[in-house]
Amino acid sequence: MSSATATAPNYELIQQDGLDTGLLEVSMGPHHPSTHGVFRMDVKLDGETVVDLSPVFGYLHRNHEKLAENMSYLGSMPFTDRLDYFNSMTNNWAYALAAEKLVEIEVPERAEYLRVIMAELTRLVNHLSLVGFFVNDLGALGTPLLYAFREREKILDLFEQASGARMMCNYFRFGGLRNDVPEGWLDRAREVVDRFPVFLDEYEKLLCENEIILSRTQGVGNLSRDLAISAGITGPMLRASGERYDLRKVDRYGIYDRFQFRVPYSDGDVGDCYDRFIVRMLEMRESIGILKQALDGIEHGPVLGNAPKVFKPKPAEVYGRVEAPKGELGFYLIADGTPKPYRYRVRPPSLINLTVLRDMCLGQKVADAVIILGSIDIVLGEVDR
Amino acid sequence: MSPDLVRDILIATVPLMVIFPTLFAFTTWLERKALARIQNRIGPNKVGVPLTRYGGRFSLFGLGQPLADGIKMLFKENIVPRDADRLFHLLAPILALIPAMLVLCFLPIEFPWTESLLPVQAFLLDGAVIFFFAITGLNTLAIFMAGWASRNKYSLLGGMRAIAQMVSYEIPLVLSAVVVVMMVGSLNAAEIANAQAGWNWFVFTPWGLAAFVIFFIASLAETNRSPFDLPEAESEIIAGYFTEYSGFKFALFFLGEYIAMFAISGLAVTLFLGGGAGPGIATLPWLSAMWFIAKIFALIAVMIWLRGTLPRLRVDQLMGFAWKFLLPLSILNILVAGFAHFIPQENIVSKVAVWVVSLGILYMAAKGLNQLNRPNVRPRDYKYAE
Amino acid sequence: MSLLGGGILKGMAVTLRNFVGSYFDRDRLTTNDYAWRAGDSLPQHAGEYPKEEGEQLRDTTTVSQYSRNFPMLLHDEGEAMDTIRCVACQICERECPPQCIYIEKSTEKMERGGNKAQFYPAKFDIDVSVCMSCQICVEVCPFDAIVMNSQFELSTSNRFGGLLLRRDDLLKSNGYYHKIHPEEAAARDRRMAEEKAAKEAKKKAAAEAARKKAEEKAKAEAEADDKKQEDTQ
Repeated sequence: MSSATATAPNYELIQQDGLDTGLLEVSMGPHHPSTHGVFRMDVKLDGETVVDLSPVFGYLHRNHEKLAENMSYLGSMPFTDRLDYFNSMTNNWAYALAAEKLVEIEVPERAEYLRVIMAELTRLVNHLSLVGFFVNDLGALGTPLLYAFREREKILDLFEQASGARMMCNYFRFGGLRNDVPEGWLDRAREVVDRFPVFLDEYEKLLCENEIILSRTQGVGNLSRDLAISAGITGPMLRASGERYDLRKVDRYGIYDRFQFRVPYSDGDVGDCYDRFIVRMLEMRESIGILKQALDGIEHGPVLGNAPKVFKPKPAEVYGRVEAPKGELGFYLIADGTPKPYRYRVRPPSLINLTVLRDMCLGQKVADAVIILGSIDIVLGEVDR
Repeated sequence: MSPDLVRDILIATVPLMVIFPTLFAFTTWLERKALARIQNRIGPNKVGVPLTRYGGRFSLFGLGQPLADGIKMLFKENIVPRDADRLFHLLAPILALIPAMLVLCFLPIEFPWTESLLPVQAFLLDGAVIFFFAITGLNTLAIFMAGWASRNKYSLLGGMRAIAQMVSYEIPLVLSAVVVVMMVGSLNAAEIANAQAGWNWFVFTPWGLAAFVIFFIASLAETNRSPFDLPEAESEIIAGYFTEYSGFKFALFFLGEYIAMFAISGLAVTLFLGGGAGPGIATLPWLSAMWFIAKIFALIAVMIWLRGTLPRLRVDQLMGFAWKFLLPLSILNILVAGFAHFIPQENIVSKVAVWVVSLGILYMAAKGLNQLNRPNVRPRDYKYAE
Repeated sequence: MSLLGGGILKGMAVTLRNFVGSYFDRDRLTTNDYAWRAGDSLPQHAGEYPKEEGEQLRDTTTVSQYSRNFPMLLHDEGEAMDTIRCVACQICERECPPQCIYIEKSTEKMERGGNKAQFYPAKFDIDVSVCMSCQICVEVCPFDAIVMNSQFELSTSNRFGGLLLRRDDLLKSNGYYHKIHPEEAAARDRRMAEEKAAKEAKKKAAAEAARKKAEEKAKAEAEADDKKQEDTQ
């Protein structure tokens, strides 16, 4: 973290121009159009420059962890959907992964493929909406966002056909998936995946060379590699700061070791909003590659392994983690031999990535604070839990 | 003041006060519909004339929507913040509307009913262009008044932004208009329009084209249109200076903003796009007014299109763009126009040469200025880890 | 032209293409009119918004056969309460993550469909303002008695209790289930038939075995008797 204390304004940032002007304290949020939910930033402004910022959150606290400790293992699966409500599939996967470690269930082949397909589709959904919201924060009147949502609809339709719900899928189970995908689903998925690059080309043409976006995002919200690592940043945000770290490569959970894919990262040590934006655009292309391979490789078979009828693990401690679209999502479980977990803990990528907000915003303009927040990619359901 | 003059002025101005607000209603529909289509939505398509009590209607592509919006605005509660300055809170939207309406009178639109009444004093003011800029400057005051009187931090920020922006962009706006005034040798709007009769529009000259582009960009900033809609930047400061306005006062701001768009597009049409000139006006003189309004709508369509495409600038970049890019460029354009004017352009070769040289100079200058202002901004390369 | 408006012009070309495309390309214009199907003329009663259940079922634009909303109780063909599948075992009540199911067991058992007499739910309430459509009750039900409905028009003017669905609101026939989720219902019926067949085969086998055993026993007894008689003689 920065050397300044968390409460005092950074007086060295105040311009010494001989004018005796006071600071303007603005409370941005929780009902602000661009704080992505109920999030508040207490901003101290000198003119338009941010001299101090403190994030205030907790408005969406729903007691997720304690609820889960009073519930059967399976019972908290639908609640994980509500953590990061854009990416219910990867949330499910992280939790299922942790629980599967507790009792060591074999996941059938077809289920592993479907899990990868769902996770990568989720990544597409998340990055699409992130880029859309980010450009919306930049001030585009919803056009890129609505293009993104147009494509997102097609993927959500696939989710609905597979799991019955568009967002709160609740599709993964310990040892596989709840049910197999309906007939013809894989063909429909292939169609969506094949047409996706056409849209991405259009999107890149719309955004990536736009002079206004370039000058608004470059050099704004810099996050150095060292700070990113020491603050525990993960996911695309870490890779935008120049660190090569992706759990799909590091852990190779599931069957990610079978696919050929690359992990884009920024070469420089800048880590500004532009890097975070482009890294996600590039990641979408890689996800399409994984999806194509997975759709080629999938075979028929069962989708649910021999999970025990009553889930009652022996006392153990496990940590299951996946590369969620926002970063490392982990579930830490302590089992005590009862059907309920003794301790249930979520490592939410949004919250930990949010911790560097102040360091990135100081000295920037107030308009930049908004886009820096947008480029972190937070979902308040996950921050507050 | 003689009764005749009063009558003439009324006949000349009252239709303007009717026509442009009607066009405003149409433009809000047009903007919503066009933006919706740009964003792959349908847009308003339901409101129309109901045929029976139980449904069935004559929806006319939702053309009834502005009317419905207007009625809604009228009946909404008027909320004034407790600590607000009530007087200025009330005056600001009115003051925002008046200058915009006022300058409409100086647009050289030849309506059929005005022709017989000429000369009406209001239309033939000799300093029309100067008067135009002087009056539109009042708009800044209204917006700051709204921002200050609302007693809201977002409104205040919006008002401050508006002042900085509108004062800065007035300079390139005026300087690009100066070129035309220089060439015509008159500040009279009607004379400027007449000088472009036929197809001699100033936009078809190299300096006119450059001045038109600068004028158009600056006029976007003057009317707070995207990508210069900082004073009302939704994602940053909620709604800027009209955060605390609701109901009819908000409608007045809205109306004022659109009328200002008409006015400044009308001035652009007068200065660069030949005023009412267009095919067919020799035989049917009333077509001239139609052409004028059609050209205004063409400019407004581009504004809507830009709004559907672009994100907005940041406040320091906005100021930098005005002072470090548009201002030097428009001064250079005046010089280029002066030189181009004195080079004889009898044959096609010399004409092409003048075009190439002038635009080349301006392009190089723009490129250089851009390089100076933003040396490090460019697309980057990324690496992949296997 | 790079960095001097070229990118902006490119972006404007994209938006222009979308503007024009939205008139010709159905794939671009994804928005549907919500209240009625695309292509249909305006309904007679456009003002009457909450649609009849039958209309909802025919509505293909708003709900697909895979979508799920809130649970419903199944009964087989016949009078609803006579053929209700639920036996009030209360597993779903226990497993429901947000605890939105309330069941009261009946006092006496009831016979249905020629099966063994079982309890039935005297009360079965689901508070759909709490329910989160997770489908866990469906998964844990051993009797295939609870499945997901896809009806979404549930708005009510009563804040307190208006969203509490009682047993009789929840009861739906198997035919209705086939109508809203044809694929899922067919698969479920197939599985149930298989299970039933397997059960019956098992029963038959058990009965057969029992009969054989009894026969053998009788035979042995008869033999023993014979022996005894021989012995006594």
